[in-house]
Amino acid sequence: YRDLHTFELQAPTRVIEWARGSRVCVAGYGQSGGNEILQLIPPPALQAKETQGLCPERDFKVECGGFSKRPVHSLKYVPDTSLLVTSGPPDSSLQVWQVSAEDSDVIKSVSTIATENATGQPWARIATISARAHWVLHGSTLESVQITEVELRKNVYTAGSLGSEELAGLAFLDGSTALLCCTRGRLCVADVRQPRGALQALPAPAAPAGDRWCLGTACAAQGSGPAPQPVACLSSRGLLTLTDLRKASETLASAAARVPSPSSGAEFLCVSWAPALQGCLAVSGFDGTVHVYDTQSWDSSGREAEPLFVHKGHVLDGTGDPALVTVHTWHPQKPRTVLSAASDGSLHVWDWVQP
Amino acid sequence: LLAFSSCPGAGQDVGRSCILVSIAGKNVMLDCGMHMGYNDDRRFPDFSYITQNGRLTDFLDCVIISHFHLDHCGALPYFSEMVGYDGPIYMTHPTKAICPILLEDYRKITVDKKGETNFFTSQMIKDCMKKVVAVHLHQTVQVDEELEIKAYYAGHVLGAAMFQIKVGCESVVYTGDYNMTPDRHLGAAWIDKCRPDLLISESTYATTIRDSKRCRERDFLKKVHETVERGGKVLIPVFALGRAQELCILLETFWERMNLKAPIYFSTGLTEKANHYYKLFITWTNQKIRKTFVQRNMFEFKHIKAFDRAFADNPGPMVVFATPGMLHAGQSLQIFRKWAGNEKNMVIMPGYCVQGTVGHKILSGQRKLEMEGRQILEVKMQVEYMSFSAHADAKGIMQLIRQAEPRNVLLVHGEAKKMEFLKQKIEQEFHVSCYMPANGETTTIFTNPSIPVDISLGLLKREAAIGPVPDAKKPKLMHGTLLMKDNSFRLVSPEQALKELGLAEHQLRFTCRVHIQDPRKEHETVLRVYNHLKGVLKDYSVQHLPDGSITVESILIQATAHSEDQGTKVLLVSWTYQDEELGSYLTSLLKKGLPQSTS
Repeated sequence: YRDLHTFELQAPTRVIEWARGSRVCVAGYGQSGGNEILQLIPPPALQAKETQGLCPERDFKVECGGFSKRPVHSLKYVPDTSLLVTSGPPDSSLQVWQVSAEDSDVIKSVSTIATENATGQPWARIATISARAHWVLHGSTLESVQITEVELRKNVYTAGSLGSEELAGLAFLDGSTALLCCTRGRLCVADVRQPRGALQALPAPAAPAGDRWCLGTACAAQGSGPAPQPVACLSSRGLLTLTDLRKASETLASAAARVPSPSSGAEFLCVSWAPALQGCLAVSGFDGTVHVYDTQSWDSSGREAEPLFVHKGHVLDGTGDPALVTVHTWHPQKPRTVLSAASDGSLHVWDWVQP
Repeated sequence: LLAFSSCPGAGQDVGRSCILVSIAGKNVMLDCGMHMGYNDDRRFPDFSYITQNGRLTDFLDCVIISHFHLDHCGALPYFSEMVGYDGPIYMTHPTKAICPILLEDYRKITVDKKGETNFFTSQMIKDCMKKVVAVHLHQTVQVDEELEIKAYYAGHVLGAAMFQIKVGCESVVYTGDYNMTPDRHLGAAWIDKCRPDLLISESTYATTIRDSKRCRERDFLKKVHETVERGGKVLIPVFALGRAQELCILLETFWERMNLKAPIYFSTGLTEKANHYYKLFITWTNQKIRKTFVQRNMFEFKHIKAFDRAFADNPGPMVVFATPGMLHAGQSLQIFRKWAGNEKNMVIMPGYCVQGTVGHKILSGQRKLEMEGRQILEVKMQVEYMSFSAHADAKGIMQLIRQAEPRNVLLVHGEAKKMEFLKQKIEQEFHVSCYMPANGETTTIFTNPSIPVDISLGLLKREAAIGPVPDAKKPKLMHGTLLMKDNSFRLVSPEQALKELGLAEHQLRFTCRVHIQDPRKEHETVLRVYNHLKGVLKDYSVQHLPDGSITVESILIQATAHSEDQGTKVLLVSWTYQDEELGSYLTSLLKKGLPQSTS
């Protein structure tokens, strides 16, 4: 490590989202209510470009907080507004919150975006993109994908149905295209400019049935180079497949991450591309570790890949039940800085050294 | 009724603490701190605020100091000797021992170094400490017949305490600065379920999520190690007690583990004094230290040796702990001057530095300092700041509230806007009211005192004899008269109350007129009424008296002819207040008219 900071949140989180001004947002997912949504100001060391040493300010500060009765499974900021949107069981509706850090430090619940036949549905996945301010793409199954304009609370797009499979994730590829990933691994693409557009399924890789999958896309419009990052999919068995959407019929590359077997479920599977390191991605959710891989050397054989770096902090720190990493995210500017959170409430910020 | 007033001082101003509490007629001052950032009168609380006229000694019942940090006790000599207060001042034994040292140190900087004149003198510090009464943990101290105080362990620094102030059945707990997690040489704060009406808690770190101590220590050790490895010297200016011990234990363990050879030195004066105090106050340290103290003195180190002035000139790497902590005078400043010019060296400031000291200047980034005799010192050595101070964060505050179970919570020492969330959090989780007063603001908290009332035996016996025996599940309504005389409350029977007060009992009598159509003579009407009532009211005593009136129990009925109409008879029905029910019944009965009778 070049740097390692460990923090303890009062309650574990499964979301870490970046907001304007280097803010970070986390939220609790406890079943019995009283969950806190916290917008944090990271220590100056994290905000500065140069890593400093013994900085006087090494702590996160809670800038503002709110209370959610539901467990928060997904949280996204709505671009160009002071709103954020959360979702969680027991249904697929979204909760809208107002963050006004200058006036008060309370995040207020503002409204709810209800969805048809919401009860009994799994919780909704959410995505936003800065190119489309006020738009929130959400859905819990393939047949309930829609975009809501948050300020007007109006539906602006509903996807046609391609089945009722549960969604593992969705993302904007750009201002007019959305990508959907089902828990069983199927990928679909939608043109969101057409209010009732049809979904286009992508040929699926040959995946063993029973695996659950999750999605990782590169941040679109982040000054992407000539070749946009492929889409990464991670299975609960540790299989990573990279797909180039322009040639979706064949897998670009795939590898197997070294994971303990049997894996403890796919609840917290997470895969993400490094925004400032070409070809690097991080994987977590199998145990208390986070793996970083360099995909540039991968081929399509699906062989086991050697990670560039393994963060074991969540395992070594805890006493008692082993912690499970619930989520991780990359720092948008600092190339090798990663934030990871685990089920024991720990929050780590680490800067790894290229071996 | 509990009134609370925050002296211009604590409450949204992290500079100094000074809180005034009014509880059941008693006035207590909590802490008497000084603002470290100001150089003028603003550094002291504005005591004229407390009482416009009248002496402070008469107005205040006592003063309590929580611990020896200057922002909690720095204004005490000014307050007691220059403003004027002769009443008792309470603090724990370690605080009493260490306070005067810090105050004297601070006085030296302010007066000798900065040349101020309106400041307290050494003699004043001594006179002030003579008014101090030292208390032990968990010892109930009777300040007077009604006011009592008790100290609880607060962690944070040696001797820091949280205080419970109790008058009758109303109580307040003041936390001072506290820490809910133990560290290497102190334990964690603890309080029992004392259920005070109000808990006053500091909230400096309420909005902070601190990085783990392990990481901070790791980085500190890394810096020290790197400096020593490249042949540099590390200076750590410390105050004799507190973090110094923590850092010594840390370095000793690290040196042992890494098998390092570079020498570590500790100023001699420091070691003796520190050891002396820790031996004296061993019960104030944590469990682990107490246990090991039996086998070996925890503060006698294998790798840390006593320092000699001459060593500062030795070549090669070394680490030195020297006083004073802010580099304003003495040995630490001397060493600093010798080592400042070499960029391989490092100075690590482990705590806050008062404005005007060299420590403060270099932490602010100054690299050219003017010393005595107009000499300019160029600072090329690395300057680092590492805070190990221990305060409770949001999680700790919630823990303390959970332990004590107060009915109300008041937060001080934090930043205004940033406490609304914590306030809601506390209110939601514990269903208590949470207050956050600003400087100079008074908060009034209403309490539900329980008032004991004596009941007279006679009344109790009489009420118990009527009807079923009252039990816990079936409360019974009883009637009595409440007498409030002086400060006693008594419940007695009405007769006794009248007797005691020398009042006569008044009788209330009601009379009602009922018109009856009857052309016959009055005495015949009376007979008709009498027969009617006797027939209807079989369970009652109905009597026809010789003077022509009828009595039903104690109710009197008389008949007269109507003045204008002979055919109408007027019945006067008269009863006392006690017979209200029967009287109303009779009246309505008679209003229905008499049956056609054959007399």
